[in-house]
Amino acid sequence: MIPDSLRRIWSVATKELLDFVRDWRTLIALVLIPILIFPLFFIALPIFLQGEMAELDQYELNLEVQINDSEIPIELIEPFNTSKLNYTIAPLDLQLNNLSSANSDALRIRDGNGQPHVILRLEETESNSSESWNYAILYDSTSELSNEGRSRVMIVMQNWESDIINHTLSQYNLTRDEALDPIHWDGDSGEANVATSAQSAGLALSMFIPMIVAIWTASSAIQPSIDLTAGERERGTMEALLCTPANRVELLYGKWLAVGVVAATSVIFQLVGLLFAIIFILPSDTLGMPSLSSWSIISLLLSVLLFAIFVVAIELALAVRAHSVKEAGTVLGPIVIAFIVPAMFAQFVNLEGIEWWWFVAPIFNVCLAMREALLNINDLSHISLWLFSSLLYAFLAVTWAAKQFKREDLVESIS
Amino acid sequence: MTSALLSIRNVSKSFADVDALQSVTLDLNRGDIVGLVGGNGAGKTTLLRLLCGLYQPTDGEVTYIDENQVEHPIHKVRSNLGVVPEATGLYSRLTAWENIRYHSRLNNVPDKKSWNRALRLARALDIEDDLQRPTRGFSRGMRQKTALIRALAHDPEILLLDEPTGGLDVTSARRVRDLVRKLGEEGRTVIYSTHQLNEAEQVCDRIIIIHNGTLRADGSPKVLMELTNTDSLEDAFVNLTQDDSREVDVAEPDSKLQRFWTRITTRNNPPKGGGNDS
Repeated sequence: MIPDSLRRIWSVATKELLDFVRDWRTLIALVLIPILIFPLFFIALPIFLQGEMAELDQYELNLEVQINDSEIPIELIEPFNTSKLNYTIAPLDLQLNNLSSANSDALRIRDGNGQPHVILRLEETESNSSESWNYAILYDSTSELSNEGRSRVMIVMQNWESDIINHTLSQYNLTRDEALDPIHWDGDSGEANVATSAQSAGLALSMFIPMIVAIWTASSAIQPSIDLTAGERERGTMEALLCTPANRVELLYGKWLAVGVVAATSVIFQLVGLLFAIIFILPSDTLGMPSLSSWSIISLLLSVLLFAIFVVAIELALAVRAHSVKEAGTVLGPIVIAFIVPAMFAQFVNLEGIEWWWFVAPIFNVCLAMREALLNINDLSHISLWLFSSLLYAFLAVTWAAKQFKREDLVESIS
Repeated sequence: MTSALLSIRNVSKSFADVDALQSVTLDLNRGDIVGLVGGNGAGKTTLLRLLCGLYQPTDGEVTYIDENQVEHPIHKVRSNLGVVPEATGLYSRLTAWENIRYHSRLNNVPDKKSWNRALRLARALDIEDDLQRPTRGFSRGMRQKTALIRALAHDPEILLLDEPTGGLDVTSARRVRDLVRKLGEEGRTVIYSTHQLNEAEQVCDRIIIIHNGTLRADGSPKVLMELTNTDSLEDAFVNLTQDDSREVDVAEPDSKLQRFWTRITTRNNPPKGGGNDS
């Protein structure tokens, strides 16, 4: 036999979920977007970056080569042409302190109009090498075309330098490896890493999954929290609800359960999307799947659950205090930052020799718990600390929310 | 013999510095159809909310008296109450039936039982075909009727109605009034808050006039007219509430900080060149 109280909590939660399901916009925002965001990100980002790079590659750029000669070294002509660099030759100013001093050329590059995108200054020097040059590339770092020009010239210069080195070394019967890499790694450095790919994946995921969970839990609970509290007051549905035999704590628990389910579903869908992207979209050598023990999985789920309890209760309590939906939104927006910042810092806390108090600090504790779970670290003292502190915070947050829900002015319609 | 069902003893309610209701004492009997009449800000809604147990009195007590004459705090017996607030409070994405079912479930009434009852009431109010429609597109009248069915679906002993015919067309308002009278005949107690004195006169056998948070009169329309030596309830009302009404919003006072902030950000600056009536 289910006690009446539980039945009422269940009725409130199921009604709220039904209300959510009916709103297709909420469903898209809280279910479809989370599941698609990472797959789309991993598919779209490379395509986008490639597209942007290809777009820049199409441009023919103006290069001015300043040199103490009427002609540039013959080794540079073909590379400049193939790199779509339309070069002109100008005399080098011999009064310069060094080749990087832009002087009046700075204005010409910044001006853009018909002027060179980049200027290459070249000066031959004396040396024992087969050839030796000083050079500088003048460019404008705030101009995309100038930056692109610098990159192209840089590649040409590096290749030219490499050719000169090889040529000089060959005169002394040396290979490049003998001269420049006398102490070298034998074999594949990747093979020397004894961590399994699953462990490496765990480490990589532990650096951003806790933050994703913190951000998404906090942000996905905002809209339902407001809708179920300030929204109900504004629409005038709260008064009728408060007249029913369900007491306010039962109503709060029902609403809290519904918001918790929505937020948790949203977070789970986002993680599913992320894992899908890792398995099926990312190249297989980029990131593998972490191998987690059953205890780590339980620990991970428990930490997410307790965090959701805590966050949802705080957001509900704050939303219920608001005098309007607008005010609730204004208050809850910055609150997300309060959840995100500690979650971000928690990524950089060293787990080796970590002080115990990190595992009782709010928000840090669950984020570090998630990191340890993903790294398969099962330290009983840490688990006890974050578990009890999280339970305490969750309890305090729910108690505070219940207190807010007992406010007499909750009955007022605020439309 | 009529017996008291609700007892209101020396009830006062204050919000911050405002006395919304002062020392009201009343007994409401089984089968009474009581009209709660008063101007804006008179204290009608405050009294209704005290009767629902939504507000706790600052002084005094509101109790429900069962058949064995045992008194219970009102908030402990909410399942005996059916309430239609002025705002109706329907969820627009749910159908009329889902709205009714939600409240019935919170009253621990099985779905089948509340459906049968809702259907019967919907027929009486002529919205039978609309029960399965989302309430989003409902007119004010349909919303009011749905809220009334929702309030009655768990078969409460006491019905509290806040402006139940507000915004209804003539035919719909008459159907609601007929239903209320029928509920009174069945022995249910109805507390009917309204601005419309002719409606109160038609429906209610007892009128309570609230003015500036105090109880000004309590009796049948005939008694009130005799008391004031007038020919209509409207004249009686005017006679009993001649002093200035306060017309203040007594509910939900701002916090001290908010009041301070409002004071310094709300300057009484008349426009330049504006006239002065004095």
